[in-house]
Amino acid sequence: MRTVSGYSESATTRAQSPGAPGLLCARELTVCYASRGEPSSPALLGIDFDIAPGEIVGVLGESGSGKSTLALSILGLLPESADIAGSLVFEGKDLLRFDESAWRGIRGARIAMVFQEPGLSLSPVMRVGSQIAEVLRAHRQEGSNHRKLQVEAVLAEVGLTQVDRIYKAYSHQLSGGELQRVALSQALACRPDLIVADEPTRSLDGTRQKEMLDLLRETNRKFGCALIFITHNPGLLAGFADRVIVMYAGRIVEEGPVSRVFRRPLHPYTKGLLQLMPTSLQYAGRTRGQHLPVLPGTLTDDDHLSPGCSFASRCSARTQVCQTEFPAEVAPEKGRRVSCFNYEN
Amino acid sequence: MRNKPRIVAALILLLSLHAAILLAKFVTPYDPAVQNRDFPFAPPTRIHFVDSRGHVHLRPFVYQWKARPDTFNEYDEARDKSYPVRFFIQGPEHKLAGLLRSHVHLFGVEDPAQIFLAGTDAYGRDQFSRILYGGQVSLAAGLLATVISLFLGLVVGCISGFYGRWIDDSAMRLVELFLVLPWLYFLLAVRSFLPLHISPTQTFFLLVTVIGTIGWARPARLVRGIVLSAKSRNYVIASRGFGASDYYMLRRHVLPHTYGILLTQAALLVPQYVVAEVTLSFLGLGLSEPAPSWGNLLANLQQYNVLVSYWWMFAPALALVIVSLGYLQMANAVQELQSGSI
Repeated sequence: MRTVSGYSESATTRAQSPGAPGLLCARELTVCYASRGEPSSPALLGIDFDIAPGEIVGVLGESGSGKSTLALSILGLLPESADIAGSLVFEGKDLLRFDESAWRGIRGARIAMVFQEPGLSLSPVMRVGSQIAEVLRAHRQEGSNHRKLQVEAVLAEVGLTQVDRIYKAYSHQLSGGELQRVALSQALACRPDLIVADEPTRSLDGTRQKEMLDLLRETNRKFGCALIFITHNPGLLAGFADRVIVMYAGRIVEEGPVSRVFRRPLHPYTKGLLQLMPTSLQYAGRTRGQHLPVLPGTLTDDDHLSPGCSFASRCSARTQVCQTEFPAEVAPEKGRRVSCFNYEN
Repeated sequence: MRNKPRIVAALILLLSLHAAILLAKFVTPYDPAVQNRDFPFAPPTRIHFVDSRGHVHLRPFVYQWKARPDTFNEYDEARDKSYPVRFFIQGPEHKLAGLLRSHVHLFGVEDPAQIFLAGTDAYGRDQFSRILYGGQVSLAAGLLATVISLFLGLVVGCISGFYGRWIDDSAMRLVELFLVLPWLYFLLAVRSFLPLHISPTQTFFLLVTVIGTIGWARPARLVRGIVLSAKSRNYVIASRGFGASDYYMLRRHVLPHTYGILLTQAALLVPQYVVAEVTLSFLGLGLSEPAPSWGNLLANLQQYNVLVSYWWMFAPALALVIVSLGYLQMANAVQELQSGSI
């Protein structure tokens, strides 16, 4: 296990991460972004989690909570300025010890990513088909004809009907929904064991979001690939994910099966998030000028560095101890964990 | 495009000049080394349409130059016999493109008259022919040195920008060193290390190599900037995320971004390097007589009497100006196209 000086964990008594051990296990995963002459700011602070083969795990958190950093570190795509420590074990091998060529064998083939904004993650000057073929080309030695057939097959799998048109199209010629499916087909091309989807539905409207979720669920069932679904919208996870990990300021504050966490959230942050989900009833009862309820305060850099609970400054249930000490993880029931001194209130 | 007519004009001028220089053997009426000792410093032959009796001819004609008796390098037209200018005329044999044997020249006049479009030099050599042949050397040197510079710049810039860290730092310090290097004196120094007499071919490649290897710094720095911004684009990171190797990413996703800047740089560097060759030849460090190049043609002007008496000896400078302005116009056009202000 590697450590980064300064952040090698204060919370020593932690509950064992629930969920079956298996595909991917992160222990004390810490990521800091260094900038010249300034103290490095941590983006992930000693994260522990496990992903079992074939399960869907939702990662929930607001901007700045470290979700995207988590996604990038699973694929070893963090920028050079990032300093990573801890361990990230994929099928028994620590990914953080991998060199570039070992990473290349994993990326796209065993772990694949569906990037945010598919319009930007596709090259504007290459045909969509050849960009999907690129993935196959990087990992398998096959003839180009065979590769083309595979690309067409995978395009059909993600529910695209006009395969020929899309194969030849450039990214700007496709609609948002089509682009998102193309992005998924890129990730699926080599049949990975784990797909990391970073807000894949962000640029889509409600109907398309629903379609995309159904498609992801279907792929998950059909190919048995595990899915890490990163989002800031708890509404998407209900009825979709098996488990949810709630992140705040670079830490996991709560984790558990989606149904149970959503029915009875324990951490005040989770409670806040769930209460604030706008429903149509809330919209209907409101007149112009009235605002929807928001969680007071914002997530700042100071919250990352505070010795106490990072949510304390915004928490309505905070006590004296919250300011000075980070709450250790506790497992209130089987399969759940939470980091809060006052979760029972 | 804003300056479309100007750009088209520049392009046509540039292309025809290049074509004429490339096909110099066919376009020129005479061999550049053939001397006419009877006609040193003859002024450009006048092209007439109206003869001494006032008759108008459709086909242009010339009179032969005749040295004025008891004077030095002064000529009169011998008006007693006119010689029509003929196109596709038989002349001295040459090999077009090194393969095609031919006697045909684009234009000329019948013996014993001669046509000197840009006058003659001290040995009575046809200046027009020498300019076109000299252009072959000067332009080839400029183009070849540009290719060397851009290639080096591309390689260093790509590696520096893509790999970053200490590689980037050290490469950029090297770039700065080359940017402050006074290349003219550097060239003089390099030349002074070599034997006094080296063959024209060796001289040519020496010139090209030295000019080309000094100029890579600016393109390298520009390419590095482009690569830096290109490598952080989402689709480049995504391609890495799907298992692409560094080489593949560079070639497929990063390199296309640099084409625009390379093209602009090429258009800027060619005239700069042609002028560099001219400067060196002018100083006597380039190709030596009798091989013509624009630099050593202009070197004639180093003699004061030539400078003040024979204006046609400036003609190679005109060619140089056309090439420089033409290429700069092209650079402008490329840059405009790139920035999308079409």
